[in-house]
Amino acid sequence: MNPRTRQALEFVLDNLVWFMLVFVLVVFSILIPNYFQLGIFANIIEASSVLGVMSIGLALVIIAGHMDLSVESVAALSAMAVGILFCSSGIGLGVQLHPEWLMVPVSLLLALAVGGLIGAFNGFLVVKIKMSAFIITLASYIWVRGLVLVISGGRSAQDLAPAIRWFGIQRLIGLPLTAWIAIACFVVFSLIMAKTPFGRHLVMIGGNETATFRAGIRVNRNLIIAFVLAGAIAGLAGWLLAIRTSGATANLGVGLLFNAFAAVVIGGVSLKGGVGTLPGVYAGVLLLSAINTAINLMGLPANFTQVIHGLLVLAAVLLDAFKQTIRQRLA
Amino acid sequence: MSEPLLVLENVTKNYGAIEALKGISFSIGKGEVVALLGDNGAGKSTLVKIIAGGLEPTSGRMLFEGKEFLARSPAEAKAAGIETVYQDLSLCTNVDVVANFFMGREITRKVLGIPVLDERAMEAVVEKALASAGTRIPSLRSNVEHLSGGQRQAIELNRFVHWGGKLVLLDEPFAALGVEQTRRGLDMIRQVASQGIGVVIITHIMQQAFQVADRIVVIRQGVVAGDVARNKTSPDAVINMITGETLAGAGPAG
Repeated sequence: MNPRTRQALEFVLDNLVWFMLVFVLVVFSILIPNYFQLGIFANIIEASSVLGVMSIGLALVIIAGHMDLSVESVAALSAMAVGILFCSSGIGLGVQLHPEWLMVPVSLLLALAVGGLIGAFNGFLVVKIKMSAFIITLASYIWVRGLVLVISGGRSAQDLAPAIRWFGIQRLIGLPLTAWIAIACFVVFSLIMAKTPFGRHLVMIGGNETATFRAGIRVNRNLIIAFVLAGAIAGLAGWLLAIRTSGATANLGVGLLFNAFAAVVIGGVSLKGGVGTLPGVYAGVLLLSAINTAINLMGLPANFTQVIHGLLVLAAVLLDAFKQTIRQRLA
Repeated sequence: MSEPLLVLENVTKNYGAIEALKGISFSIGKGEVVALLGDNGAGKSTLVKIIAGGLEPTSGRMLFEGKEFLARSPAEAKAAGIETVYQDLSLCTNVDVVANFFMGREITRKVLGIPVLDERAMEAVVEKALASAGTRIPSLRSNVEHLSGGQRQAIELNRFVHWGGKLVLLDEPFAALGVEQTRRGLDMIRQVASQGIGVVIITHIMQQAFQVADRIVVIRQGVVAGDVARNKTSPDAVINMITGETLAGAGPAG
């Protein structure tokens, strides 16, 4: 095989999920009436913003060789905290700040802080007590959701303050600001992972933790930062979720974790750690969203979504194994 | 012997009731190559980990360049100038050659105050280092998982030669190397030592020890069973020290 075909093949393998996304979009556009519209594509991006942001945090921790199952509950808790403070009906306290725009940074910081704290708690237990991240964050997944139920009493908060809602309504080039926030997050974190020592170290820790420790990289510090980031990003996802639904309910975001998981795996992140990129994860998120939109347009019952997502994850894992064999041939 | 670089005084290490090291004392001079020999489980790797900051000794003390020294982490040992090549390879196979070469010491440039990896500068350094050592690797940008065992070990060896420091610890560095590469590796060790860097090499292969070392230290059951200049002993005498058949006539113990 000459070097050029080899390089082309490697390029296709590295970006396979993007090719899949384009393929799926083309097929849907041809087969499903009304699919090929700018409005539909904008909707795909818009609908994937919360899931996308959450997937970033999850991907960071998985690339570093660990796991964070708590992101969904953390997002719900952040959304509920924002909802209780800044909603005016239901259990909302309707706190008003002057000037009004001040509510935006305050609510955002609150959401990030709630997420960051739980992330720090997870990270501390995983790194210092050396317990399995799977178990620790499974526990957090349960108790944080419990906390949401406790502080809300099972009820909901509605009518989020208009100053915060503005982000979900105001559009820029056809997309609401919330979608731009998600895109900005992907750009920023993709750059961090690909271009900074911190990102490089996370990838290497995921690949061989012992080697990085011996090389003098502060593994514990980096891992705790990764967990805090995952928590804070989940908090941001919660903030976006509160805006999207103009409030918070006790079961807000249930099931998002599995979609985030699907997106991360489809996006080419290996659950073994050390492999995967964030642009790939974004393509995975868009792919899921494109398929959801197709299901809606075809008028299939929404319940099919879950079956298809499950099969997609399975396909992604099989594909990953297939890619490995091809790569070994190439080497 | 030249001026001592690292001195170990009665270093012990217990794992619960098990005494892995019962009191090790020896020293390494600047520019000296010391071969550390001993049977499996004699405590060689434990000793290397203590010097390299991977383990803390239970008791005893170490002097590095005449000053009290204890590395609580590999990062501290590295900062002091101690480089280690471990027997199980310390490479991240999921990233490329350049990333491995610079693991934890990446060259960065500031963009808006944020450190950004300077890939081009790093690649140039690696290219030069590998070329001067005569190591050929098809692409510096291919992940290490695609490389052969020998190529991987060559990366590790080149890494320590490049970073140098003051003391280099090599734990079975040639396990995966072919004859020619081993010869080149031994040359590298001599070359490093000639720059005044102290070298400790653990090996099972008597021939290698006699080819490269100035001094041979034998560890048996957690104590120093022999510490002799290479030119004052023979392979047979060393084997006897390793197996414990004799202590006398092999040189001063401990």
